[in-house]
Formats: sequence, C-alpha cells, structure tokens
Amino acid sequence: MVRSVERMIQATSLAKNYGTKRAVDDVSFTVQPGKVTGFLGPNGAGKSTTMRMIMGLDRPSSGDVTVNGKRYAEHGAPIREVGALLEAKAVHKSRSARNHLRVLAATHGIPNSRVDEVIEITGLAPVARKRVGGFSLGMGQRLGIAAALLGDPHTLILDEPVNGLDPEGVLWVRNMAKGLAAEGRTVFLSSHLMSEMSLTADHLIVIGRGRLLADAPMADVLSGAGAARTRVRTDAPDELVRALAAPEVSITTTGPDTLEIQGAAPRDIARRALDARVLVFELTPLQASLEDVYMDMTRDEVEYHSGPVAGAEAPLESGRRASK
Amino acid sequence: MSTETQQATLPQRPRTTSGKGTSFGRALGAEVRKFTTVPSSLILLLTTLVVMVGIGALAAWGIGSVTEMAGSDPEAAAAMGDQATLADTIAPSGIMLAQLIVGSLAVLVMSSEFTTGMARATFAAVPKRFPVVLAKATLVAVIAFVVTVVSTLVSAVVIMPILSNYSLDQDFASDVFQRNLWFGAAYVAVVALIGMALGGLLRNSAGAIVTLVGLIFVLPMVLSFFANDFITDAKRFLPDAAYANLIAATPPDGGLEHWQAGLTLGLWAVIPLLVTVFVIQRRDV
Repeated sequence: MVRSVERMIQATSLAKNYGTKRAVDDVSFTVQPGKVTGFLGPNGAGKSTTMRMIMGLDRPSSGDVTVNGKRYAEHGAPIREVGALLEAKAVHKSRSARNHLRVLAATHGIPNSRVDEVIEITGLAPVARKRVGGFSLGMGQRLGIAAALLGDPHTLILDEPVNGLDPEGVLWVRNMAKGLAAEGRTVFLSSHLMSEMSLTADHLIVIGRGRLLADAPMADVLSGAGAARTRVRTDAPDELVRALAAPEVSITTTGPDTLEIQGAAPRDIARRALDARVLVFELTPLQASLEDVYMDMTRDEVEYHSGPVAGAEAPLESGRRASK
Repeated sequence: MSTETQQATLPQRPRTTSGKGTSFGRALGAEVRKFTTVPSSLILLLTTLVVMVGIGALAAWGIGSVTEMAGSDPEAAAAMGDQATLADTIAPSGIMLAQLIVGSLAVLVMSSEFTTGMARATFAAVPKRFPVVLAKATLVAVIAFVVTVVSTLVSAVVIMPILSNYSLDQDFASDVFQRNLWFGAAYVAVVALIGMALGGLLRNSAGAIVTLVGLIFVLPMVLSFFANDFITDAKRFLPDAAYANLIAATPPDGGLEHWQAGLTLGLWAVIPLLVTVFVIQRRDV
C-alpha cells in the first residue's frame, strides 16, 4: 500500500509566533490514516492555530506541514483532499445553509446533488433553506461538518466538532468519525471534552502552551498514567488504613467510609482487610481516566489557571495531592 | 492487497485536477453565487437605481425651471452656458451619490468575508487566494459598470417628459451624453474596485467605507483649501478629478489630456487591487 503511506498529515518543527508570543513551539507529529487522532490541549494551547496552519490559512513562522505529501495550498483540488471544520457559523448570516454549501461546491465544480447529499447526511434538510444567522450552535456545527464532507475528502480536520451539539449529535459525530476512519480515512479532531475524546479517538496528540506533550495510542496514554488505584468502602476506615500502612502504599480519604488506595493491588487489600477483620463492602479497581492523565500532563501547561472553588473541586484536588 | 494487484484490477485513469479542482472560472462562479444569495446585494443595487433616477428627475426639474426663468433674462442665459449640452449631462446627476452606494456594496463583497468568518471557508476552498480576489474584482467592476449604465439610461428615459416640458432637448447620441454614460460607468467601476480593495486591506466594513468616502469626497475638498501649486497639480490625479476631466468634451485648460485622465483612472483601478492581492496572499486569515 505505497499510496496510503503518503496519505497523512505531517507536521515538522511547526512553529507560530504572534508578536512575541509563541503560540505553537516546534511541534512535530504525524496523523495516520485509518484511525481517529484526537488533538487535546487546554484553551490557548495552540490547537486551532495548528489546524489553521495545516489548512494553509495561517503561515507557519517556521517549520512545515503537509497533507498527503504536499502543502495544503499546493493541492489542485484542496477540498477534495482535505475537509475541515474550523469554526462553526463562520458563514454569512443572511445566506441559507444550502446556498453556503453551493458556494463552496462551486469552487470545485462539485454538483448540487452532492450538496443535497451532505445536507441529508448531516440532518440539515429541515433547515437547509433557512438563514444561517438563525441557526443554533449545534446546527452551525452540522453545517460546518457538511462543508467538510462536501468534497468527499480522504482527510478530515475537525476543530471541536461536538461543541454545542446535543447528546444525539455528539453520538452522531463520534460514529461518523469512527466510520470515516474505518474506511481508511485520516481523521484529526480536537476537543476539550475528555470523556468524548476517550470514546472517539484511537490515538492522541496532546499539546500545552504550544509544545507537544504526548503523541501515543490512547491505550498507551491511559496505561502509562501512573499506578492504578483502588476504591475501597469500609465501616472502619481508620483500622484499614492502619492495616495497609506501608511505604509504597498511599491512601486518600475521599468520603466518610471511602478510601482510594494506590500502591496495593485489590487482592492484597482484601487479604489485609481479612487479616485485620475489617468489613469491606466495595473494592473497585479504578482505571485512570483520560481526564486524570490529561490534568497531570497539562498541569504546568495551562495558560489560564482557575482559582480553587470552595467545595466542588476540593475533594478531587486534595485527593490528588495526597496520592502524589 | 498490494499496489500491483490494485492497479491490475483497477487501471488508473489519467486524472487531471483541472476537471475537479479550482480555477478562476469556478472562483468567479462561486463569487457570483455568493453575491446573488444575500439579499443586501439586490437591495443596494435597487437603491442605486432609485437614487440615480430620483436625482436625475430632480435635476431635470431644477435645471428646467432655471432655464425657463433664464429665458426671460438674457444675462442669466449667458451665464448658464451651453444649454444644448447641459441637457445631456442631467441623466447621470445621481452618480455622485450612487458611487457611494455601489462603492459600499463593493466594500462589503470583500469585508464581509472577514467580518463573518466566511474567509476561512473561502480561502480553504481556494488556498491560492488570488483567484478569489480577482473574481471579486471582476464581479464588482462588472456589476458597478452595468448598474450605472442601466440607471443612467433609465434616468434618461424618465426625465424625457420633464425636459420636453421645459423645451430642453436631450440627445442620446451626442458626444456629451455618450461620454457621461460610459465614462460615468467606468468611474463607478473604478470606485467599486477601490472599495473592494479597501475592504480587503482593512477587513472592516465601516472603516473601509469611511476611508472610501474620505478619498472620494473629503480629500478633494480638503485639498482645495490649499493654494499650493503641488497640491493643485496632485488634485488632478484624484479619481473624481479624472472622471470630471473625461466627461468634459474638451479637457480643461492646464488639466490632463483625456488619455492621461483615462490612464489615471486605470491606475486607480489596478494599483489598489494589486496591493490587496499581495496583502491577502501573505496575511493570516
């Protein structure tokens, strides 16, 4: 399959400065065909800037990015190669959805029948003749996705595609992204919704403050997320803590009868509880969520730190600190 | 599946991108579709027509009444100048206002790309960018030219009964009428091109329209306060001065020759356009 090797997005030492601010800093990665590659990062990390550079809209300050072996602008029929959703509702407000798509189709001689097709696929049919100005954010996203699909491209770049969609729409985007990848296409999508990303992406690229933090299969990212934890609920937490005390074990109290234990396998915990005659009524191995991994990775890379919120975030924060 | 077997079963047809890719013609088609699918375009064009006809009719009535009064006063008649050619300049009287409407429309054709965010989609579809700018330039120039010619002719027809009321004779075939018709349309097309260029440079509708008004109306007025030789010379190269020169049957004393005025107007069309192409090619969208 010599041809498919070329069919990918390849960024090489990509960098972008805005004045003195470095938005993207020497980023290199490859987005492979046949899988969904998630692009994660906090706000202002450089995700959208990177995507705009891929699409030839922003000029890299240095480095280079190619799609299917060429810079985007060098393709003769770019939207048949790469479809992109960069910003929902970036459309003239008084034009109808159908006319917007027809305008884009006209640049590549794409027939109106294909326009009607993508309107069907994205569920826009009932509003296709209405002004885009009156669209909800979700409808705007669907229109953006319709535009991305218009040229039936091999590569799709979707910036926050589920932003503003209802649960049904989120599911639809997830299945669409997976379906397109299963057809052998290259799907590159950004999101800040961890749970959604963990369900959709096969591979992850994480950036923070413009720098590449991770580029690995989803499974590797999750398993490499430090030691596994176990949640234990017991009537006698203090006794259990004493029974488990060991240098390699760290224990966090997350509720009146709930402990999170790191450094001891569930089997060992159960055995020591039995030895100490402590009743345990829940013993749950916790897999690190993508959110945990991401938070750890981007802790120092977040551009805009939020102050601590009394109550809501407190248990999670204290738990994390104690377990470190 | 190896590449060989794939090629054996599916012989690759020589595919050229010209059939499915971008081209100037397609960019122009897309721009025409953009223009016709927003209601503001049609509204502004109709406004242009109404303004041209309305001001033409008012001017016909005004000039008619003055000439009627002058008929009984030989001194005033002498001051009025050549009445025969005067009647032929009435139809496009509204051009001074119409150029602003058409110019604003041309600004919007370009600036709305940036104010709505459409530019991202537009330049993602045509990443070479200059075909888009040239397509927009072609579109606004043709539309400005055609709407001015049509409005002038409609105005000329509408004012016929008014003029005949005052026994003024309008001659469609006269040199003065023809000059006013064609050079007026060409001038409005140039104003539209300048407007489109400003829209692309400033990426802001209001700013570009204000700048256009400044260039067309305010700058000549401000410059006329200065008696400096250099400024008087320079003023002749402003678009409206070149236009005034071209519609006069004979160039004014000390002014530019007709061909020089024509060239001046041509440069006003081309230079802002080239600057805009250059800037849009380079700037981030």
